[in-house]
Amino acid sequence: MSRTGTESRRSAPSRGRFINSGEGPTLQPIDVGHADYLALVDPDTAFWSLVARDRLSDAMSDGPFLQAYRKKAAAFAREMNLLRFGLKPSAVYFNPTERCNLNCSYCYIPEGMRSGGEHMSRERLLEALQRLKDYFQRTLPAGAVPQIIFHGAEPLLAREVVFAGIDAFRRDFRFGIQTNATLLDDAAVKFLGERDVSIGISLDAPRREAADRTRKDWSGQGVHGKVLEAMDRLRGYHAWSVICTMTRENARQLTGMVEFLHQREVPTCLMNIVRCTLPPSREVKPDDRSAARAFLAALERSYELYRETGRKLIVGNFANVLLAILAPTARRLMCDISPCGGGRCFFAVTPSGDMFPCSEFIGLESFRGGNLFRDEVEQVLESRPFQLVTGRNVDVIDPCRRCAIRHFCGSPCPAEAHEMNGAMDRTGAFCEFYEEQIRYAFRLIADGREGAFLWDGWDRGTKTTFEVTATSARRAPR
Amino acid sequence: MSKCKPKGAGKAKPVKKSVIASRKSCSATGTGLSHYILTDRKAK
Repeated sequence: MSRTGTESRRSAPSRGRFINSGEGPTLQPIDVGHADYLALVDPDTAFWSLVARDRLSDAMSDGPFLQAYRKKAAAFAREMNLLRFGLKPSAVYFNPTERCNLNCSYCYIPEGMRSGGEHMSRERLLEALQRLKDYFQRTLPAGAVPQIIFHGAEPLLAREVVFAGIDAFRRDFRFGIQTNATLLDDAAVKFLGERDVSIGISLDAPRREAADRTRKDWSGQGVHGKVLEAMDRLRGYHAWSVICTMTRENARQLTGMVEFLHQREVPTCLMNIVRCTLPPSREVKPDDRSAARAFLAALERSYELYRETGRKLIVGNFANVLLAILAPTARRLMCDISPCGGGRCFFAVTPSGDMFPCSEFIGLESFRGGNLFRDEVEQVLESRPFQLVTGRNVDVIDPCRRCAIRHFCGSPCPAEAHEMNGAMDRTGAFCEFYEEQIRYAFRLIADGREGAFLWDGWDRGTKTTFEVTATSARRAPR
Repeated sequence: MSKCKPKGAGKAKPVKKSVIASRKSCSATGTGLSHYILTDRKAK
């Protein structure tokens, strides 16, 4: 059975000569807020073009541009189909402990787990990694190295067993660790750095007053100062990043956060909008409009800083949106694609070995698909809870099914949709926030500024499969 | 962290194009993560 709209519209006796009728390409015009250009997007294939406002009628007529796209449409549809339905897991979010020394207001792990949950023993962790190694050897092509991200809760509360696992399996996995940084002392940085482990730390604002409102310990004390100490230790390390969770509490400080991170020579950051899966996180949910305004202002500031200094601060989640447009198969993150990466590109493992499609589902018992110690991973991936997530398809969600940018956004997140809005076939917590990002991305491309938001060499290993940069709409495409 | 001369610095304003469209492709075996960047393509 075909799974995309493009594949399904193949039976009418039409030569596909005309845009938006019969078997012709579907190209929806979008006002991206640019003075000179509109975007034309085929929602099914994620094909896009930017067309001068005064040449739109030329582009939509049966000319060289349309002919060039018509030749490529089927290949682009296959590419999207592979990306959306043909990948296998290559990464695992591994929680070695349920406990956390912090009690952040938006955490998706239930408070009871974080305050009194279990740690994984050394033996169990090593056994779990062996089972994952065996699974990936069965499923990934030779030479592919899967990834383990120690996550939380706070993984450095189980530091000894985590470090034992890294040393025992360092030839089998690429490791990363996402930590609140409060336990990231000199010895930990040295250990992880010597083993090339990627380190992600969490910080929500440059100033203590704002950062400490959401990220605090069980006594209510903020940890801003400790995180800054860890950042000093990490300066100069090539593989570290900062995750900033955008909430109502810090949205106005995002631009300041960009300046702060750039000044601290942070190579990469994520500015993720808060996930509203659990009720407490909805208390700090910003509205779409103000979140978009703050986020785009922060991005623009990162551009100014690059112009001033020649040094980039990559905002990874936005870079991923640009990649979704410029090179869909080169994207690194899988929240902004549908089905999302949960349960199909990665999955999460808890200290007891329970498996969930994504960390967002830990704490939602009905989404437990099985147990790493008792079940075959392949069986868990086919379990009903996993299928609920991997089967969430933006092509049938309303209004996403009519949305031209649905494959640049992906309608995140299934956990939010299910818990906050009541079902998998609903949108998540935000919509206009993503619309505005994508419109901004198109404006950057129109102005030739997109490279400033991507890491150098991002297109290494890619090939150009379509290019039209006509100075006249009547000029034949290259 | 990436450091280089900003692209386009000092260049003349490019001629306005009537159509801009491009697409690149590569093996779709990328990292495929959610909220964490594992820097297999390191920012330089």
